[in-house]
Amino acid sequence: MHSASTSRNSLSPLHGERVKVRGLRLMLLLALAGGGCSTAKWTVKPHQRELLADRIMQPDGNAQETAADEHILANREGAIGGSGTSGGGCGCN
Amino acid sequence: MRLQLRPRDARRGLRLAFTIGAAVTASAYAPRARATQDAQARVTFFREPSTANEGIKVLHPQLDAGTSLGPDFHFAVGYEVDIVSGATPAVFGVKPGTVDAVTQATHFSDTRHQVSGTLAYTRPSSSWSFGYSYGFESDYRSQAVTGGATTDFLDHNFTLGLSYTHNFDRVCDANNDNVGDQLLLLKPLSKSTDCFTSAADVSTQKLSIDTFQPSLSWTATPKLLLQVGSTIQILDGFQSNPYRSVGLGTQAAQPQEHLPIYRQRYAVYARGVYALPAVRGSGLMMARYYQDSWAVQAVTGEVLLNKYFGNEVLLTLRGRYHIQTGASFYRNALEYEELGPNGKYWTGDRELSPMSNYLTGGKLAWIKKPGQDRSSWYVEMELSAKYELLIYHLESPYAPNADRTHAHIAQGAFSLRF
Repeated sequence: MHSASTSRNSLSPLHGERVKVRGLRLMLLLALAGGGCSTAKWTVKPHQRELLADRIMQPDGNAQETAADEHILANREGAIGGSGTSGGGCGCN
Repeated sequence: MRLQLRPRDARRGLRLAFTIGAAVTASAYAPRARATQDAQARVTFFREPSTANEGIKVLHPQLDAGTSLGPDFHFAVGYEVDIVSGATPAVFGVKPGTVDAVTQATHFSDTRHQVSGTLAYTRPSSSWSFGYSYGFESDYRSQAVTGGATTDFLDHNFTLGLSYTHNFDRVCDANNDNVGDQLLLLKPLSKSTDCFTSAADVSTQKLSIDTFQPSLSWTATPKLLLQVGSTIQILDGFQSNPYRSVGLGTQAAQPQEHLPIYRQRYAVYARGVYALPAVRGSGLMMARYYQDSWAVQAVTGEVLLNKYFGNEVLLTLRGRYHIQTGASFYRNALEYEELGPNGKYWTGDRELSPMSNYLTGGKLAWIKKPGQDRSSWYVEMELSAKYELLIYHLESPYAPNADRTHAHIAQGAFSLRF
């Protein structure tokens, strides 16, 4: 017990320094990833959005149609959510 | 006749608000042009036949119109109606003298109206929207306010959306003020003619609903869009169907359905849309997990396929599957009769029973846009027709609505942007 305690005490300052260095490296990597270097790789440019601009690429589709669909389903199931916003119901069960 | 106890009004406005925000955000890249107006009309017909009675019919017209107000604002109004008729399950129980009929039904008809308005303010990388809706029918009143915001980041490749809705709903109920703890004496509402008056045989119950919905969309590649999101909803107030009774025990007690007044609901979902330029189409997949404080758990999956034929015809095919467990206090009609209630709550609601359903169908749309080489009085018009079949799978012939195995959904729509 004594030797283990001594060992921990003697390592503590170095251990703390290593943790700080690792923390700084991690922060630097996160900053690079979030701020600049990786942005170009992970983003889609405006001139690449021709396909994405089409109506069939919109996950929410037509708002009025989706509302009507959920108006029916939400009142026949116990669940809500899952389509951008939750739906309504007609209570006709 | 009460039609439902769902926070429908707010969600309607919320969806509209978000769509407006998204549409205006998308157009932020385009040069500023003239003001645009849009109008859309849709009629949905829902038919759920029954082997025991006339089933249910719903006619649901919707009308929406909007206009841009300067370069940054958009204002929209909406109106919709539910015209419902058919047989409503008045008593959930084993029908005397039979072994298979589980639901006694009475004829009803009612009409619900709803009006809504939404104002959206949009900047190149963000949007805000505020909406209000009011819905009314003979036995239900609903007011909802909603606010939402979206913001783009990382070169518009990510969109974070947040929305909050609060419903102030009022429900007509039979006057059960003197029942106290004698829950088996709860009597159902027999008619709606006295609702929201000072008549002694009715009372007005409150229902408060808070809904919070965050979402994150990611334009992953030039062909792939991903989205994750969640719905958190807290309901506090009267949530039973006031007309419905449940047969409990062999003594033929038939008290009004009795549900907890508090419910927390959580859902998470993920969606992906992938472009298929080789076939001039796209595919969408969605998966959802849901659970709530009444112990209902559900999983839902959906697939959508779109394909253009020529320049003006769009075909959409849809498949959907939903499966769920029942609420902790749910029992089927036979169990309620033989075992009695599971605690102090009881229900005859199909939504709270263990079950699954399948939906399949398709839509054909004709989309007309003016040629790019000439100006026109309109920007786009669309005419569409849709049919879907919904098939129910219940866990027992003694489950709620066991006499209804499927439903037909037909829809026609016309929209114009000018």
